[in-house]
Amino acid sequence: MIQKKICMLGGFAVGKTSLVKRLVSGIFSDKYLTTVGVKIDKKSLSVQGKELLLVLWDLYGDDDFQKVRASYLQGSSGYILVIDGTRKETVDVACKLHDLAQKTIGPVPFVLLLNKHDLVDEWVVECPMVSDLSDQACFVSMVSAKTGEGVEAAFSALSEAMLKF
Amino acid sequence: MERTRRSSPISPPSEYDKGGSEDFSALRRLLLSPEQVQLDRLRQRLDTFVVGPQEVSRVLPDAIRLRARQDNRLLASMLPITQEALALSIKQSPQLISDSLAPILGSAIRKAISRAMREMLQSLNQTLEYSMSWQGLQWRWEAWKTGRPFVEVVLLHTLQFRVEQVFLIHKKTGLLLNHVMAEGISSQGEAAISGMLTAIQDFVRDSFQQSQDEGLESLRIGDLTVWIEQGSAAILATVIRGAPPVKLRDVLQNTLESIHAQYSESLQHFQGDDSVFLETRPFLEDCLQAQFVKKRKGLPVAFWVLSVLLLALLGWWAYQASLNHQQWTELLKRIAAEPGIVVTSIQEEGGRRVFHGLRDPLAVDPERLLEEVGYPPHAAGFHFEPFIALTPEMVYTRALKVLQPPESVSVSLDGDRLMLMGKSSHAWMTRVDQAHFSIPGITEVSMERLIDTDVKQFETLREDLEGQTILFLAGQGRLTDRELVKIQQVKHILQELDKKAMQLGREPSIYLMGYSSPVGSQSTNVSLSEMRAQKVLEILSESPFQVLKLSAIGKGVDPDVESVAAEGQGYSASRRVSFKVVEPKITQTREVGARTGR
Repeated sequence: MIQKKICMLGGFAVGKTSLVKRLVSGIFSDKYLTTVGVKIDKKSLSVQGKELLLVLWDLYGDDDFQKVRASYLQGSSGYILVIDGTRKETVDVACKLHDLAQKTIGPVPFVLLLNKHDLVDEWVVECPMVSDLSDQACFVSMVSAKTGEGVEAAFSALSEAMLKF
Repeated sequence: MERTRRSSPISPPSEYDKGGSEDFSALRRLLLSPEQVQLDRLRQRLDTFVVGPQEVSRVLPDAIRLRARQDNRLLASMLPITQEALALSIKQSPQLISDSLAPILGSAIRKAISRAMREMLQSLNQTLEYSMSWQGLQWRWEAWKTGRPFVEVVLLHTLQFRVEQVFLIHKKTGLLLNHVMAEGISSQGEAAISGMLTAIQDFVRDSFQQSQDEGLESLRIGDLTVWIEQGSAAILATVIRGAPPVKLRDVLQNTLESIHAQYSESLQHFQGDDSVFLETRPFLEDCLQAQFVKKRKGLPVAFWVLSVLLLALLGWWAYQASLNHQQWTELLKRIAAEPGIVVTSIQEEGGRRVFHGLRDPLAVDPERLLEEVGYPPHAAGFHFEPFIALTPEMVYTRALKVLQPPESVSVSLDGDRLMLMGKSSHAWMTRVDQAHFSIPGITEVSMERLIDTDVKQFETLREDLEGQTILFLAGQGRLTDRELVKIQQVKHILQELDKKAMQLGREPSIYLMGYSSPVGSQSTNVSLSEMRAQKVLEILSESPFQVLKLSAIGKGVDPDVESVAAEGQGYSASRRVSFKVVEPKITQTREVGARTGR
């Protein structure tokens, strides 16, 4: 079996944990996020006929209280960058985190997820704002943690990209 | 070969022949004639070029290595051929394959079986060793209470240490390369644990600004320890229950070094495919070590406790048996010595020793004897027929019971003669006189040394009365006031005497004897003395007596007048009335008979 380490990155409360909650199997509680700064879950999926095990490092959101630890990014084969469509400032955080990831682990594939699609009426983030990131991402999708829309596809896209990389 | 042909700079000559003129051809022949010959030769050589085995054999190893590094297409191409070849080979000559694999498989199988057997036996031994002991019972109770299997409880208690899980983790990615568990341990998301272990290491390293080469060496919670061995590309994390010995560290280090040595290339170029590390399993299994608490040599405490208890029990039993024997002997002795009890036989009846025989109703209660010697009442019984014992003790006891002597009387037995001494009432003596006939074993009662207190009092009163005199004045039958008072005293004595006489069954006569002085004539004096006696009788007879009979007698002149006068009292003492108690003879005889008995 092939294993890949991927990281979930994004600002505070953009919905990283909620996005993957229904898809992964984990044994650790959410309190690890605020203490150690990371919670690890796993997800099995089949890509191109291959069994793949994604070891998902859910990193605690970047805020004034806790910075994402670069060391947690080490060894990642890809990452998922999450932006909250209703909060403009999360775009900046995503850009910052993207830079950190690229600097730490190199140009590995990543997917860009614009969360809270279920609240699309309240969106303040517009396409030009994220065009830089969209161009670099191997997959961009609008998702909803509430409905689970688009998340599975994002995992598959990232997995394919990582296998090709 | 095709590529060589396509990339040749020389085009086929026919193309040039078509486009050139004769002159040009001539010129070209002149200018390039020698080279043309060479080119023609070369072309001829290339057209007929065949790569021989020798050439291929020279480049093949390098070519395969280069290609395999590039991608896995070569592997993919070779895979079906290799599989078919292997299948064909097995089909055609199975012995060859079998012989080739035997050294590897045989050893591996032996190792696996011996390991499984060892674990099973160890577990079985532990279970058997503790299943019947006191400790075992406690653990059974614990197992029942916690709902865990007994084997598991035994294991937990007897374990000194046991490596429960071994994680081989890729250092850079935190991905799990391989994982083994001890028997009975359940898997719980090793991939995530592996990642988390790496994260925690990173966390600690970052938090305390340690270099990348440094890492956590151990974690501890309760009786669970996680030892982490750091390698250059991989980490070996072991989960240990109990207190592991330091030498286990060496084992872990050696294992990690061996893995690094053997899988250096794979570790460096790890891209997430863990299949190559499946072969590290034997290495990791070697780390699954365990050590159990050695059972103490010698006999267990429970044995000693039981022995002491048993000895104590035995001692107690022996003591009880001895005590019982002593009590029994004492009981026999006491019963044999007890007057009024005759044991004819002792029989065992329903676990009790029952005494049969005779018992005087006045003899001691045998149940009391049991109590006195401490013999258990439920272990003995009595079945005695009543009888009258004539042993001196019983005769004496019976006499006391029948006669009930007052405290002032001491009773003794001399043969068949009952001796009474001391003082007693007349009534009691009368009772003795009548009752002693009914006491078996007594034929005579001696009362010589027994004083009748009633008779004695009677005598005292008599003396008292007879000492009294009532005096009269000369020539008169009249009493002075003083004498009247004296008469009252006499009256009181008479009343007491009357009472006592009645108790004694006597009927005494009281003579009131009147006297006169010699002064005067004889006849006057006689009548004066009668008058005086009569006078006192009158006064004394005012209250009647039960048995006393009073009579007045005139005695005339006092016969003792001379001696009285000589004492200087003149004749006053002669003018008097004196008293005399007289009893009939018959009463006297009866009293004597009662005193002497028969």
